[in-house]
Amino acid sequence: MVAAAQQAAPTISSLELFNITKRFPGVVANNRVSFEVRAGEVHALLGENGAGKSTLMKIIYGLYQPDDGQILLNGQPVTISSPQDAIARGIGMIHQHFMLVPSLTVAENVALGLKSSRGMRLDLDVVAAKVERLAASYGLRVDPRAEVSRLSVGEQQRVEIIKALYRGADLLVLDEPTAVLTPQEADDLFRMLRQMREEGRALIFISHKLREVLALCDRVTVLRDGRQVGTFPTAGMSRGELARLMVGREIAAPHAEDRAPVPVGPPLLQVRGLSSSAGAGGPALREVSFELSPGEILGLAGVSGNGQRELADVIAGLRPSSAGEISLGGAPLVGGPGERMAAGLSYIPEERMRDGAIMDFSVEENLILRDHTRPPYARGPFLDTARVSTVCRELITRFAVKTPGPQTPIKSLSGGNIQKVIMARELAREPRVLIAAQPTRGVDIGATAYIHRLLLDMRARGGAVLLISEDLDEILALADRIAVIHDGEIAAIMPRAEADPERIGLLMAGASTESLSH
Amino acid sequence: MEQLLTIGTLLGVLHSMIRLATPYLYAAIGETLGQRSGLLNLGVEGMMLMGAYVGFYVVFTTGSLLGGVLAAALAGALLGLMMALVSVTFRAEQGISGIGMYLFGLGLSSLLFKLTLGTVQSVSGFPEVPLPLLGSIPGIGPSLFTHSVMVYAAFALVPLAAYVLNRTTWGLNIRAVGDNPQAADALGVPVAAVRYATATIGGLLAGVGGASLSISALNIFQENLTGGIGFIAVALVYFGGWRPVGVLLGVLLFSFVSALQLWLQVTGVGLPSDLAVMLPYLLTILALAVSNRRAGQPSALTKPFTRGA
Amino acid sequence: MRRTLALIALSLSLLLTACGGAPAAPAAPTAAATEAATAAADAPTAEPTAAAAEAPTAAAATEPFKVAIVMPSGITDLAWSQSMYDALKAIQTEMGGESAMTISYSENMFNVTDAAAAIRDYASSGNKLVIAHGTQYGTSLFEVAADFPETAFAWGTATDAGESAGLKNIFAYNAKAEEGGYINGVIAAMLSKSGTIGVIGPVEAGDAKTYIDGFTAGAMATNPAASVNKIYTGSFGDTAKAAEAASTEIAAGADVLTGSAQQVVGAIGIAKDKGIPWLGTQSDQSSLAPELVVATQVYDWDSTLKDMFAKINAGTYGGTAYNLTLANGGLKIAFNPGYTGVSPEIKAAAEAAIKGISDGTIKALP
Repeated sequence: MVAAAQQAAPTISSLELFNITKRFPGVVANNRVSFEVRAGEVHALLGENGAGKSTLMKIIYGLYQPDDGQILLNGQPVTISSPQDAIARGIGMIHQHFMLVPSLTVAENVALGLKSSRGMRLDLDVVAAKVERLAASYGLRVDPRAEVSRLSVGEQQRVEIIKALYRGADLLVLDEPTAVLTPQEADDLFRMLRQMREEGRALIFISHKLREVLALCDRVTVLRDGRQVGTFPTAGMSRGELARLMVGREIAAPHAEDRAPVPVGPPLLQVRGLSSSAGAGGPALREVSFELSPGEILGLAGVSGNGQRELADVIAGLRPSSAGEISLGGAPLVGGPGERMAAGLSYIPEERMRDGAIMDFSVEENLILRDHTRPPYARGPFLDTARVSTVCRELITRFAVKTPGPQTPIKSLSGGNIQKVIMARELAREPRVLIAAQPTRGVDIGATAYIHRLLLDMRARGGAVLLISEDLDEILALADRIAVIHDGEIAAIMPRAEADPERIGLLMAGASTESLSH
Repeated sequence: MEQLLTIGTLLGVLHSMIRLATPYLYAAIGETLGQRSGLLNLGVEGMMLMGAYVGFYVVFTTGSLLGGVLAAALAGALLGLMMALVSVTFRAEQGISGIGMYLFGLGLSSLLFKLTLGTVQSVSGFPEVPLPLLGSIPGIGPSLFTHSVMVYAAFALVPLAAYVLNRTTWGLNIRAVGDNPQAADALGVPVAAVRYATATIGGLLAGVGGASLSISALNIFQENLTGGIGFIAVALVYFGGWRPVGVLLGVLLFSFVSALQLWLQVTGVGLPSDLAVMLPYLLTILALAVSNRRAGQPSALTKPFTRGA
Repeated sequence: MRRTLALIALSLSLLLTACGGAPAAPAAPTAAATEAATAAADAPTAEPTAAAAEAPTAAAATEPFKVAIVMPSGITDLAWSQSMYDALKAIQTEMGGESAMTISYSENMFNVTDAAAAIRDYASSGNKLVIAHGTQYGTSLFEVAADFPETAFAWGTATDAGESAGLKNIFAYNAKAEEGGYINGVIAAMLSKSGTIGVIGPVEAGDAKTYIDGFTAGAMATNPAASVNKIYTGSFGDTAKAAEAASTEIAAGADVLTGSAQQVVGAIGIAKDKGIPWLGTQSDQSSLAPELVVATQVYDWDSTLKDMFAKINAGTYGGTAYNLTLANGGLKIAFNPGYTGVSPEIKAAAEAAIKGISDGTIKALP
């Protein structure tokens, strides 16, 4: 492959965006946004979903052209016409959804699109050697011959970064890079990024995680509703200040009194020795056991793809188990999803667009799904449209769903409001046990706070909640007890009071409890 | 029954297997390249028919075998190009447009057959030539290593296709485009161009596969000459796990059972003929059912590509 | 946009397929008739078309006799469909051409539902006789015939001339394929030096099966030590498989071959390459291998059709079940002068067998 100038001095000294405006039909995604990143700097781009971060990033990478404004590279006006153009200018991008070909090896992924030193024949051995050297210079181990689909998410991210560096990237744009990582993997990533900063590269770090922005970045540009709130040095900033800048108002974080102890009765949901065969993209469950009491939130922490979805699906009756038993309120929980619902179980699935709602249906239709064959929605075989309408209006008000009306197709709502509709439907049934899988993923801060409030309300009412989340902060804020899942097994269960983020992080990464005890 | 177990019978079955395998190999290897790049071409059968007709017609009128093969290749390639236009540029549903392409090839070859030939005619096609050295081995030489050059070329395609897919930059592009076109595009791989190329080559090989019937194996042309070979070839690509060598094994297995059932009938084993003729298809379905066919399926198969989507 | 384009592509192909000879709905039989007339201009069997064009005979003063036919394969299949189509064309020429008799046809109607639609369309567009040239069309034919009592219908291979359903407007026809099969078997057994004879059949049913059974009986009666190896390909039109079956037969020792259905053109090609004599049935197949086709059992529908026409003109629309036999001249054994291996003894044996079957002293089926 044509030698990339990875060891030469960086050629990008600054990238400046000046008054960038980008309009889409009905919305201004970026409205006169200006910011600048310099060599040797980590610059954060902070904002909620829909604030305009992705659009700005796609403009930098040549996927979109701005309607107005200028891009200056090293002080010279440039037009970045395509991703290939961006790569040629030394700009690399680490997408949130990796741009890797899973069936190819690491070396093949790196070689893709580059000229071979042997003409038509591939020179994968040459590429492999360079990849290993490049990885070693950051203290990483990467097997160039491994097939990407067999690598962990963290390893895949490293391949993405190496791929960009191989092509001589001096400026890296990282889109929510820690969303898929364990805390330890995130620490490794930060170490690597700091080294790149020392080498004089420029880094743009896109995130909505305030803690990370403060820990890693030198300056932060905050976006809100497509507009630039401002650019600030992070030194001396607090998380509260940043959150206020990002959201534009105070956000009430759950307070200690919200989690005041609720009298805990005998276990409501009991899971004993539950096993299942491996799912698509997930491991097999192995002898999972836990109990859930009324008035309790059990947080299930783990890196995505370690069996969380399989566990939730098995409990909800969507996936068969191979061994073990589940009981609810002392009675065995068996049968399909319908029977389990009738027994008092509710499930908020992880893939809410696919499993939680029917996107082409209206808000009202989604609200009555599942219960539409029963009163109050049905009278015999007929829908009682008047009652449906009344009840749905009540639910929309009670759960603060922002929608133009009950007949609006649900797909035109924001992620947060779709989730509120699903919560409304599930909680209106007053379940005894709620499984909430990734309930706030991709949801804006305001809706997140509201959803947290709903979960705490359920707990206060004496309901039991299994909260499955990849956001450790969320679990630490809400759970009474914390279970960690790794590779289909429960690694440990501990009371919140004894939980320590570092220990949980190591357990999520697969360290055994014994090795941690000394 | 004793007759079935003789060496002579076995060699006869193997000889038949190799001959029967030839058109399937051309079609299936071409289809493999297309599917690895994410294009499902269900129109192979129609392309084979056009290749069979055009190849036959050129040999019939000019007597040039080479001209016949080239013309068949050109006809197939043109249909492949049309398929690419419809499914890559116009992003049509590939299953539907493939069936359309099949009907188009079937109809056009039948129409041209009526207008130009009118009735079944024959030509003298490719002769059988023994392979140097191998062909002169007593016993197995004449049965296993004496075939027409169209047969040898079909088998030579397998390692060639495997080499191109696994060892060249072009093959890497094909595999990447079939599995994650977004990623390939971001790295400067011309997704549409790669798919146009594989569709055209797939059509070309289907056309030559059709000609391998009309000017090598049968030396006649008749309406619907291929009789479903193109569709079985598509199934064999799945069977072979999208790898040329796997496809070869699938083709050989299918052809072996097809040849075997003919021999079973000749030697009068007493198997009902209705059951015998079902054997190859039953076996294919069975093998498809038990094999882990999802492994290796290109993720972007049948999905049109849009930048930024 | 995508769907529209796919639809356009699809309808375009359908259109072309239709032009290629399988009109899905022959709503305009006149167009089909025109096509037939054009085809006649280059069809080898219909030579004196010029005479037809200039010959306004007595028949031209009245309405032409309108005949329509639905066939399972093509009119050039050198077999079942061609035998009937050629007979119709010959009668048309004899009667004075287009002005005296029109022929509309739908070929390659392997889909019975499409065929049913075609039969109904032909019946409702004023044809005097609608022929459904396949056993598989029987059910549809009976349904349509009940609705058109003033139209005559004919079908075959069949023996039920409407009596089962109480219909008076149905003719049935049946070729006693086993009779010519027996003669071919006699010839094959005398030609074979190895004593092994190969047969390539389509499916084990209908006149293919009776032909092959007759063939076997004739061969075994002539040489009780002969072995007749049969392969059924499972399809009427799979040329490639028929060719491979022929290769297999030859590899297994056969030195004389026969077979039936339109697939056999593949087998005849192999016979030609390997220099193996071939015995044919249904239509004269000597054009494919002029030096190797020994003899063909030819289906001659001429007298059957003429009798039907006469009955229809006299006001009788059905009720007769015709049999093509050697005795009534519906079946003929056509020796191919291009093949030189037929000795006087063979010819004499064949003629003796024809006589025996005609007078009933030989049974073609055991």
